[in-house]
Amino acid sequence: MKKWLVLLMLPLVLAFTGCSSSNMSAIEEQEDGTRATYLKSNNSLLYSRLGIRDPKTTMAGDLMRAQATLENRWKFKLDFQYKVKWFNADGFEIAPEGRPWTTVVMPGRTQLNVQATAPNPTATRFEIWVQE
Amino acid sequence: MKKVWMFALLAVAATLSGCQSVQYGDATASETVNTDFGSTDLQMIAAKMVDDLLAFPPVVQITSQRRPVAFVDRIKNKTTEHIDLESVTDTIESKLINSGKFRFVDMSVVERVRQQLEYQRDSGMVDDQQAMIMGRQVGAEYMLYGNMSSIVKRDSSTKDVYYKFTLKLMHLETGIIEWSGEKEIRKSKSRGWIGL
Repeated sequence: MKKWLVLLMLPLVLAFTGCSSSNMSAIEEQEDGTRATYLKSNNSLLYSRLGIRDPKTTMAGDLMRAQATLENRWKFKLDFQYKVKWFNADGFEIAPEGRPWTTVVMPGRTQLNVQATAPNPTATRFEIWVQE
Repeated sequence: MKKVWMFALLAVAATLSGCQSVQYGDATASETVNTDFGSTDLQMIAAKMVDDLLAFPPVVQITSQRRPVAFVDRIKNKTTEHIDLESVTDTIESKLINSGKFRFVDMSVVERVRQQLEYQRDSGMVDDQQAMIMGRQVGAEYMLYGNMSSIVKRDSSTKDVYYKFTLKLMHLETGIIEWSGEKEIRKSKSRGWIGL
């Protein structure tokens, strides 16, 4: 009888875990200041497996263009989403819903170039946010 | 023992019904319900087209001193799906206007604009000094147009969909295509080993 009770309670436990959402703590500060400036995530595990190289900007007229190389430091493939966010000189995000989360699958130990053009000339800096 | 059973069943029922709730989500979140054209595809296409157009050197030069006027022609749907492509061009148009680089005229409201101008001119209800005058609209210099096609392949366990969206910017007077951009999207769906 006890087995039946355990089986009956199992969906209950699974349902509870299915309904809850993981909410990781804020961004983990790294010694590498560049990484902390450009790469942001609320998922510390994903953040620890990703690196960012050569973040750079150029101007297309008065519009800022950005490029950065995301690096999968893990030996297995990473399935995640990224979004480029733009900010003006006052720190306000420009067009917060202007860009979608883009899904990427990166094989282990590979790199991916991410590019974006600012929504308007007021943009002065960018961040790349990643999530699972 | 019966009470224990009742309690367990009640807990299961309450939990399962509790999971069915309406929630608001992030409109920019990646949507992968099925392989049909979806909100993420729309947003990715619009973002790529606007990024490419605004960064293309000749377009940067054209828009550096002035804001050219353009209009959006329809996008030809060559896929087998019913897709609201006006929604895609609306998003592209909004982004281009908000970039401060282009201005647009809207051909879909021409008749209503004419009716309003005629009303202001002829009805006697509007102060002549404040009535808008006909014949002063600005002609579009550029036209945005394009098409969307798809290739669908499937076998017993996998469905693979490839979308290609092409957008072009033509100078109306000369007919020259000043810019052309493409966005390709591939989506595939595989059935699990138990057929789900």
